[in-house]
Amino acid sequence: MTSLPDVGVEIPAQLHSPTALDLFMFSASAWLLHRIHYDTPFTIEHEGHPGLLIHGPLQGVYLAQAAEAYLADVAKLQSMTYRHLAPAYLGEELECGGIVTGSDGEGIDLDLWARKSDGTDTTTGKARFVLR
Amino acid sequence: MTPVITGEARAWADREYPDFDFQVTATDIARFARATGETNPIHFEQTAAVEQGHPDVVAPTMFPYVIRQHASALVRHDELESDGSPSADVPPLPTRRAMAGETAIEFGPPIVAGDTITVRKRLADMYEKHGKSGPLVFVEMEFSFTNQRSETVAKESFTRIYR
Repeated sequence: MTSLPDVGVEIPAQLHSPTALDLFMFSASAWLLHRIHYDTPFTIEHEGHPGLLIHGPLQGVYLAQAAEAYLADVAKLQSMTYRHLAPAYLGEELECGGIVTGSDGEGIDLDLWARKSDGTDTTTGKARFVLR
Repeated sequence: MTPVITGEARAWADREYPDFDFQVTATDIARFARATGETNPIHFEQTAAVEQGHPDVVAPTMFPYVIRQHASALVRHDELESDGSPSADVPPLPTRRAMAGETAIEFGPPIVAGDTITVRKRLADMYEKHGKSGPLVFVEMEFSFTNQRSETVAKESFTRIYR
């Protein structure tokens, strides 16, 4: 993208179906020791989840990546907020997308989401980009 | 309504958190970039980063998370809970069931290999709300990330909810 996007434009969504290996690599790279992301028996038997959880911060990375893939040529990510609404489990696919909510001479605002195939949003957020 | 946040919890919240220094290497950056599927050579090759005007390989935007996670979890084994959580992050509340939090992060100049990033952590707020399903306790932490030139490379606030 080389020109400024219009308000209401949806950014191209990025699909993620992280594997157990992807979850482990994220835990390892961040020194995130919480067992619910790599220890399946513990997660099911002690924490009552149906399977390993996709990290909230990894979903935050996915949202930033989707937005940056669309805007990085013209603008720089200045700030982002996101919150987790529902768990996402190993084996689920997340569609990470967004919509332009503001665009002016200084920057671009986006609403972002990570959405399961059943339509449930697991993480939603907002990002502000400033023009380069 | 009986308060859930006791004097013990207040004392836990009001303690000082030591600063943590993270020496950022090209390997740290490449590891996180690989783990998150990045492909841009500026995360992996110094020459590519230099061509873009950086002194060395550049960390992906969300790298401050790696730094603050190390600040919390790079501790002795007896400072970890059985689920892997750092004990110091678990408040003395009647429940330890943590819920979805909210993150707000602002970015400054990029983090590059060779930087030393100092994380300063403080408790911004701890408060409770009483809803139909019982008490909720909100714990809001603030992190500032400063490089060796005293530039703020990121600021983050992170709220955990306990019920």
